[in-house]
Amino acid sequence: MNTCLGDLRHLARTTAVAALILFPLGLAAQNAPAGDVQKGQTAFNNHNCSGCHGVNGEGGTGPRIGPPGRPFPDFVKNVRMPAGLMSPFTAQAVPDSDLADIYAYLRSKTSPTQSAFSADPGNAQHGKQIYTAYGCYQCHGGQGQGSVQTGALRIGPPALFLPAFAAYIRQPTNQMPPYTAKAVSDQDVADIYAFLQTIPVPPPAKSIPLLNQ
Amino acid sequence: MAKSTKKSVGRRNFLKVAAAGAAALVANPTIKAAVPAAKPRGKVLPPPMSPEAEAGMPSSHAEVLTLDRPGSDFMVDVVKSIGFDYIFANPGSSFRGLHESFITYGGNKSPEFLTCCHEESSVAMAHGYAKAEGKPVVVLAHGTVGLQHASMALYNAFCDRVPIYIIIGNTVDATKRRPGAEWTHSVQDAAAMVRDYVKWDDQPISLNHFAESAVRAYKFAMTPPMMPVLLVADTELQENPVPDGVPLHIPKLALDTPPLGDTGAVAEAARMLVAANNPVIVVDHTARTAAGLARTIELAEALQAPVVDQWGRMNFPSRHALNQTDRSHEVLANADVVLGLEVADFWGAMNSVRDQLFRTSKPIVQPGAKVISITSGDLFMKSNYQDFERFPEVDLAIAGDAEETLPSLIEAVKRNINSDRKRVFDERGAKLAKARQESLDRARTAGTYAWDASPISTARLSMELWGAVRNEDWSLVSDPAHSSYWPLRLWDFTKHYQYIGGAGGYGIGYGAPAALGAAVANKKYGRISVNIQDDGDLMYANGVLWTAAHHQIPLLSVMHNNRAYHQELMHVQRMADRRSRGLDRPTIGTTLNDPPIDYAKVAQGMGVHAEGPISDPKDLGPAIKRALEVVKRGQPALVDAVTQCR
Repeated sequence: MNTCLGDLRHLARTTAVAALILFPLGLAAQNAPAGDVQKGQTAFNNHNCSGCHGVNGEGGTGPRIGPPGRPFPDFVKNVRMPAGLMSPFTAQAVPDSDLADIYAYLRSKTSPTQSAFSADPGNAQHGKQIYTAYGCYQCHGGQGQGSVQTGALRIGPPALFLPAFAAYIRQPTNQMPPYTAKAVSDQDVADIYAFLQTIPVPPPAKSIPLLNQ
Repeated sequence: MAKSTKKSVGRRNFLKVAAAGAAALVANPTIKAAVPAAKPRGKVLPPPMSPEAEAGMPSSHAEVLTLDRPGSDFMVDVVKSIGFDYIFANPGSSFRGLHESFITYGGNKSPEFLTCCHEESSVAMAHGYAKAEGKPVVVLAHGTVGLQHASMALYNAFCDRVPIYIIIGNTVDATKRRPGAEWTHSVQDAAAMVRDYVKWDDQPISLNHFAESAVRAYKFAMTPPMMPVLLVADTELQENPVPDGVPLHIPKLALDTPPLGDTGAVAEAARMLVAANNPVIVVDHTARTAAGLARTIELAEALQAPVVDQWGRMNFPSRHALNQTDRSHEVLANADVVLGLEVADFWGAMNSVRDQLFRTSKPIVQPGAKVISITSGDLFMKSNYQDFERFPEVDLAIAGDAEETLPSLIEAVKRNINSDRKRVFDERGAKLAKARQESLDRARTAGTYAWDASPISTARLSMELWGAVRNEDWSLVSDPAHSSYWPLRLWDFTKHYQYIGGAGGYGIGYGAPAALGAAVANKKYGRISVNIQDDGDLMYANGVLWTAAHHQIPLLSVMHNNRAYHQELMHVQRMADRRSRGLDRPTIGTTLNDPPIDYAKVAQGMGVHAEGPISDPKDLGPAIKRALEVVKRGQPALVDAVTQCR
């Protein structure tokens, strides 16, 4: 019985991993226009993306973006209107065609930790509990809102795919301290991610009078 | 102090004449004292000492127990001649003579004595006051235990380049000390413990020495780079009569003109800035006055150059089109010329450091960019404490006060601008204006996240407060770093007194007293002083609440009560993360939540209007409005908001 359960759990985990890694990346590929890796490398350097994100998108003062952790439309949105400290790049400064090439270039990269991620679907309730217990809230805020003082990005709701999210936790490229699998299991990461997914996107700033005075 | 009756009477009569002479001198201190007919000090024979007195026994004659003109009265004359408005102090026996002279002989006016509850608070109040008013108050403290309490606050002011004027009591003559406390409160070299972080100190041994050193100390404190100074007032000097036959004189005070940058170097800086494609101006402790603020604006607008504010002072309007602080990395990464104006950590502004197991740093500014600094910081430096930060590599180092050097730089810049450059500058300015609006929009969007959260988000707290005070004549008297800088990102700062910067040395216990000190300065102008008060900071110095209530100082405080020493909590968490152990334990020793502190009750107990704790964001705005009404009536008020961490 235990063995069967173990097998089932293994199957579920394997399926989940496949879904978490392959499906989002496959979706990303589907949504991304065909880009030219070579041109993308040139554009990545010409637009000085490498200045913050490293020459291979491995991260520097900015986070790792190679391979990209989000679908192409989100990638474009984040370049045009970043959520964190990054400055926006307009279509005049970096055309959409360049972004498609840059995205293709970044997809050609591999993350040292992303492929090792393995977890069942996340439990949001447990995730909320350990989000506090493990101190995530200290820099990212109780609802993952982030802070320019701590330097922590907004993560609620998360913009990254779970594997990219997990990869960053394991091997952060900026100021964030590392959370190893020894201290926070893959399942814990998935649970935290599930909790962050429950956080709603707030109404636009223009609908809040106090923010417009 | 025992004297024969005969001798004493004569001395007292003489002292009356001497006092009258000194008073006349104070009325016009530029005139030398009209000294009564008395023999020069060197020729006066000492009175013969009676056998009883020599043996330390009571004289057979009646003791003289009173005097008309103590030395401390003259010290008060000196202090008044310099022009102080306040004394911030708690009482201490080593300056009891001076204390009594200030409140009685001096009439407790100019300066007026404000009762503090801790020497650290006295100095931190003086720190906030000096930044808001542009000049120091007098701080009094014991030479030993009082200065030990005051020392961290002095260090903050030293790092923040703020003038503090502290007078400490001490008894140098060991034979005059009472047994017990007066020995433990006496010290050979009282200033030694703080000499590394005061600009100048002295231990005068005569009243004229005190007068010269008092004026000299003020002069030094007020010359950029401004810093704390310390005077020792010996108890014998304070309590003994003004000595016979000594002409007392208070030197006239003429402040030094601030040091200016070399004209040729300023012209070269102007040429580099005008020729640059992407100049960036970094400001920090730049503007001390309204004129300083106007000058930074004028320079930036002449060049249409982006300004990156390190927020040491109110340097630049927060919503100005050229304020690119939210885009600092981008504008610095693209810069070909960077100008730093009194930047405390110029290297840190141009480089980033990763706080990981192996610390690494990367330049933000591209190689080949030219760097210019204008700072008075290079003119005076001490070696022991490392507040001078990492050495910045610059191409043109101009030693001089930035605020006072700016007029010549602006003039030189304008001389170099031709029509071609003007067109380039205008195009640059238009792009920067658009980018500024976009960054403001992004900040507002960021503020929507956790807007309705409980505990209350720091964005919500800041904007509820802004909504209440924005139509008043307001002044933010606290450092909003721990509330994610929301006020500096979203409020509309335009006037020089609307922001005073932070602690300087990051020493906790600065916030509450500095806010109160600034509120003392703002009171006479009718400004609403606004304080976002960190809970951990208030626990260092909550006696200031009583001082605020007792002296009726209008100050609106809203607690940023995250129930932790949160910066330290994050540091300990980082260690646990790095070591992959005990992730749930860093709250030990860093949090203030068991039991949660009821700051409203604490404040009420000190006589301050207070509400809270408030956890529902909907309740915060109305509570702030009620508190604001109390403040408008001239009283302090506090609202305890339970908040998100940052």
